[in-house]
Amino acid sequence: MKIVGITACTVGIAHTYLAQQKLEDAAKAAGDEVKIETQGTIGIENELTQEDIDSADMIILAIDVRIAGEERFNGKKKIKVSTETAIKSPNKLIAKMHEIAGK
Amino acid sequence: MTLDTTSLIEALDRGTIVTDFHATDKESVFRELSGRLQECGYIESVDAFIEAIKERETEGATGIGEHVAIPHGRSDTVKKNGIAIAILHDEIAWESLDNTGAKVVVLFAVGADDAGSKRHLQLLSMLARRLGKEAVVASLLKAKSVDDVIAALTQD
Repeated sequence: MKIVGITACTVGIAHTYLAQQKLEDAAKAAGDEVKIETQGTIGIENELTQEDIDSADMIILAIDVRIAGEERFNGKKKIKVSTETAIKSPNKLIAKMHEIAGK
Repeated sequence: MTLDTTSLIEALDRGTIVTDFHATDKESVFRELSGRLQECGYIESVDAFIEAIKERETEGATGIGEHVAIPHGRSDTVKKNGIAIAILHDEIAWESLDNTGAKVVVLFAVGADDAGSKRHLQLLSMLARRLGKEAVVASLLKAKSVDDVIAALTQD
C-alpha cells in the first residue's frame, strides 16, 4: 500500500529526520510505497503533493509540534504519534497502519 | 562516493570527534564535547551551551535507542552550526527510548536564529537521518578511531 506523512519535532534538527528515516525503512521493508515530508528548522522538505496525498492509503503524522497544512489530510485514514514512537517502534506502526487500512 | 557523502564529510570536524572517551556521566560528555566545539570555533561559551543542552534534555529522552544519544542545544552562543561526537569507552546511563544507556553520543550545536547557513543545517539533518540506519549505528558502536567514525557516517 502507499503511506505518506509528516515528521516534525520540537527543535527541528534531529528527531524529525531520524523519524523520517526509520519510517521509510520500515515501510519499504513491509513492501510499501512511502513518502515522508519533514518540517524542521530548515523548513519543509520532501513536500507532499496533493497527488501524493490523494493516492495514499494511510497517513502517518509523527509530530511533537503543530504542523503546517494538517488540513490537507482531512477525510484520510491517519494515525498521529510522537516522533519518539516512530523512532522506537517503526515496524509496529507500519503493521498497525496495515491493520487500519485493511490491506 | 555519492555527492551526499562528499558533503557530509564537510559537516564532520576531526577536532570535535573523540573515541574511547572515559565518561562518568552525561555531564562529563557535555563538558568534553562542548570544550571541543569551543576550541574549534563553533561556540563562544561552554557553560551557556551546556545550559541549552540541559534545557532540551528536560523536554524528553535524547537516547534514541541502540545505545545512541543525540543531545542538542540551540543557543545564541553557537556561532557556527556544528556537530561533536563521542564514542565512549563504557556505556553510561542515559534516558532513552529503549532503556539502554549511551555508548555513542552525537551532539548537535545550532544557532538560535534561522539566518545561519541553511546548507549546513541540511547537512546536519542528513547526519541525523544516517543515525536512523541500523548499519551506521552498528559501525559507530565499533568505532575505535576518528577515521572509523567518519567512515561509519559516510558509508554508502
